Amino acid sequence: MADASTVAELVNISVDGRPVEVPPGTLVWDACEKAGIFVPVYCAHKKLEPVAVCRMCLVEVEGLPKLQPACATRVAPGMVVRTQTEQVRKFRDGNLEFLLLNHPLDCPVCDRGGECDLQDFTQRYGPGRARSSITEKVHFDKAVKLSDKIMLDQERCILCWRCVRYYEEITGEREIVLQERGVHTVVDSFERQPLQSQFQGNLPEICPVGALTHRQYRFRARPWDLRRTASVCSHCSYGCNIFVDAREEQIARYASNDNPEVDDSWLCDQGRYGFPELNRPERVINPEARVGGLRQAVSYQDAVARAAGALLRVRGDHGGTSVGVLGSPRMTNEEAFVLQWLAREVIATPHVDHRYEPLEGISPEQFRLGIAELEGCDAVVVIGDRPERLSPVLTLRLYKVANKLGRQILRVPETFSAAQVVKQLPAAGRIGIVAAQADRAAAMGLRAKAGSAGREAAVLTITEAVNSRGCQDLGLLPNVGPGYRSLEHSGLFGRQLLEAAVAGQIKALLVVGDGADFEAEGLFHEALAKVDVAVVVTAWQGVASRAATVLLPGRTIAEKAGTVTNTEGRVQRVRTAVEPKFTFPSDLRILGDLAAGLGSDLGVQALAAPVFELLAAAVPAYRGCQAGLRAHWEPGS
Amino acid sequence: MDDEKVLTRHLGAPGLTTVGGYEKVGGYQGLRKAIQMGPEAIVAEVKASGLRGRGGAAFPTGTKWGFLPKDVFPRYLCVNADESEPGCFKDRVLMEEFPHQLLEGVLIAAYALQVTHAFIYIRGEYRFQRELLERAAKEAYRAGYAGKGVLGTKWDCELIVHGGAGAYICGEETALLNSLEGRRGQPRLKPPFPAVKGLYGQPTVVNNVETLSNLPYIVTEGGARYAALGTEASPGTRLFCVSGHVERPGTFEVPMGKTTFRDLLELAGGVWRGRQFKAMQPGGGSMQVLGPQHLDVPLDFKAVAEAGSSLGAGALVVMDDSTCLVDVASRLVDFYRHESCGKCVPCREGTYFESELMHRLEAGIASRAELAELSDICANMEGRCFCPLGDTATWFVMSALRMFPEEFESHCGAGRCPVRAGSEVAA
Repeated sequence: MADASTVAELVNISVDGRPVEVPPGTLVWDACEKAGIFVPVYCAHKKLEPVAVCRMCLVEVEGLPKLQPACATRVAPGMVVRTQTEQVRKFRDGNLEFLLLNHPLDCPVCDRGGECDLQDFTQRYGPGRARSSITEKVHFDKAVKLSDKIMLDQERCILCWRCVRYYEEITGEREIVLQERGVHTVVDSFERQPLQSQFQGNLPEICPVGALTHRQYRFRARPWDLRRTASVCSHCSYGCNIFVDAREEQIARYASNDNPEVDDSWLCDQGRYGFPELNRPERVINPEARVGGLRQAVSYQDAVARAAGALLRVRGDHGGTSVGVLGSPRMTNEEAFVLQWLAREVIATPHVDHRYEPLEGISPEQFRLGIAELEGCDAVVVIGDRPERLSPVLTLRLYKVANKLGRQILRVPETFSAAQVVKQLPAAGRIGIVAAQADRAAAMGLRAKAGSAGREAAVLTITEAVNSRGCQDLGLLPNVGPGYRSLEHSGLFGRQLLEAAVAGQIKALLVVGDGADFEAEGLFHEALAKVDVAVVVTAWQGVASRAATVLLPGRTIAEKAGTVTNTEGRVQRVRTAVEPKFTFPSDLRILGDLAAGLGSDLGVQALAAPVFELLAAAVPAYRGCQAGLRAHWEPGS
Repeated sequence: MDDEKVLTRHLGAPGLTTVGGYEKVGGYQGLRKAIQMGPEAIVAEVKASGLRGRGGAAFPTGTKWGFLPKDVFPRYLCVNADESEPGCFKDRVLMEEFPHQLLEGVLIAAYALQVTHAFIYIRGEYRFQRELLERAAKEAYRAGYAGKGVLGTKWDCELIVHGGAGAYICGEETALLNSLEGRRGQPRLKPPFPAVKGLYGQPTVVNNVETLSNLPYIVTEGGARYAALGTEASPGTRLFCVSGHVERPGTFEVPMGKTTFRDLLELAGGVWRGRQFKAMQPGGGSMQVLGPQHLDVPLDFKAVAEAGSSLGAGALVVMDDSTCLVDVASRLVDFYRHESCGKCVPCREGTYFESELMHRLEAGIASRAELAELSDICANMEGRCFCPLGDTATWFVMSALRMFPEEFESHCGAGRCPVRAGSEVAA
């Protein structure tokens, strides 16, 4: 890897006659890829150090008598690499024969059948048929429960060591080891202790064959039955990039979709295995309304008209401020922006929030440091264990910063003396401060202290839910408007709003989103029972759906299209991975229709992109940041 | 033979395994002289001796030492006492008979390389020898040759004797380092080479027991004198372990280059039971087979290489005319299958494949197509494996197949081993 400081001259080499220019120190394997030449590998992995054990990538290098492993050989000026010669072809064929010698022929019942490198390379480079008279195979355990998440089939293992190296290099937990030797070598957990890591789900993903499989996904689908959609994990605010693989409009699994800036290709198990939550059957699937005291199914148009009419009535009778609007940190940016606009401009109420507990004293400065920028820090201070509990994948980035890059990680309790901490920091250089949003004040205090002691410090705040950051940026809060604009009149925070409803000051509630932040609160229950009008747009049956006077079916994040903003301010796309069981309009469209019903003709479009333009016009930091970029907040804003 | 000996020159002297006994024959004078000479002069003397590594690869020792980067400390010396090559037992003799000569050599090298920790990695099965070395090391400490302030100087040198766990692969220097560090005994990816990044990530020299045992002589008598014992291309003397079908198997020290295989065979009393010589394997289990036509080849690196084999670790396994080469090859391949560390595919699976085929061949149930398959498998292993173990697992088979093709072919479909069947009849 070449960083900006080494503006070393590029090295010219040729791969199969194609010239290619790469930085010195590049692996031949990477150079081949750059030249557009595919070289098969099992052991090599972009995120792991080379080991050169599978020998699959052996290529000819002119001037060297033996074939060389492309995955472990560095380029030299003028190097001539050949990957398609008879010698290479013969060895690939022979090496696959070796691998298949003791590999079971259970592809028809193997979860990896159809997406297995051993199958694929055998098809592409291997022997068409077995020639050997040696039919007896070495046998091992075929169904080792490594944990409640992972199953190991030792017979399918081709001993690429990726799992062992993953645990050594990426998590540092060393839960899988190699045992025995020669043809009896196996990988296993040490003394068959169950794996404890919270990053186990990455193992089946880096396994090139069907040796390590997800127990959650075991025997659930064949890869060709799945429809793959690139999206964002909704477990936390970190914004890991994923593929959602769906079968028959049910999510079958999550897979990582490497974004080096965010997840670095690793997912946490909470995120990866958390999707059954979204497959739950307790859905709201029909618009309903209370007609003469009795809730019944109504048409969509009727429901929207009734909702608008009821809200207009309350506004007419008691004024806009008698309406409270509650969103959710699992809404898209587009929905959040439209909802706050609907509240402030159409209903004319300042009482809008997306969370139960009040959030005060926030600013973009608290989010200045990017996730990947941690790698550029000379030392990182982590305040308490909340950041990693909120966003487990952060642990792997911190491990990389400490272990691979050799930087100092300083873990301090939630209450600490900034002066003491600064004393332990390197005398100069860049300091990263990582804190949960609850600890933002302490983080900013430390930043100020470090700054006055001559260190350049920046804070990475970890928020809570997938789009908590977006909801804050776009002003789905009673105390700041879009872009953290200060307001003339602040509204009530979520909890206060519910208290006001119970006290009879708030007469109508518009609740949009999954309601997860409120559902568990008794106050929410009381408030909904008390208000005259409760318009609820939700995907889930629950307290809100049951209490609604008008109920509209919402979508889960897997059914939505739009953007969300991760905790470092990166705007990322979520895409519709599964279709809901109904055909009613999307949440965003519902908000637009409600606005129209309330007499606004701003013309909020159903499609996300034009809304994003409106949103970017209101929040300049969001201009031009659709393509996975971080919103650019002016310093001091 | 009355040639001058180096390694075995004190053989028979009483009490050689004790410091006192060793001192009586001039022991540890080399170390005293070395300390007076200083590191650079020692290295120069070793270079002048032309000493080449005795572990099998025959790399010039002085050159190897020269690869250590300047001014990187600590650096380590590791003594490879993991003698496990089939047919090799010379290091064992050196450790059993002349433990202090080895320790003196280790200390000289350690001083020359400015090393403060020397590790002796000894084969797990050599338990008695390990205890003996540990005892000798303790004595050396007590006598002031090791430990803090060696011989009153400011130089400290710790001697650590570490036993292996029974793996042939740990004789490979990087696997040895892994094992010494408590890791799985498997070779490391090179570069970086041990000289740059070895034990615990520090610059490290790994030398064989016999290599280092030569140092006391080289330092006291001079490199030039040592070199002159052999020929210009193959300087000095060397231990050879002669075993197999000979009357008097044993370890013999002979001058390099001037001695032939036939001389060695005669030292060992010739082929046993009045039988005829059929084949020999020089260098230990790893090396290519040679036939009667090679008996007059001198023990010279180049000459043996031209004959198609190598002196390897200094062994000579002699086979008489009752030997079935397929049987021998089959057993050797079983050894490599057992000892393959499992790291790389061609060695792990190839040795298994090879041995299964060899079993069928030896039993006379393999077809001619399988014989061709065998050659093909070997071709897919040689030069393709991570370390030389996989290569060497093919060398004996391939060379025997080249030299005795009829013997292999006669096994195909014979239903039993024709060679052994024939000798049973003759007996």
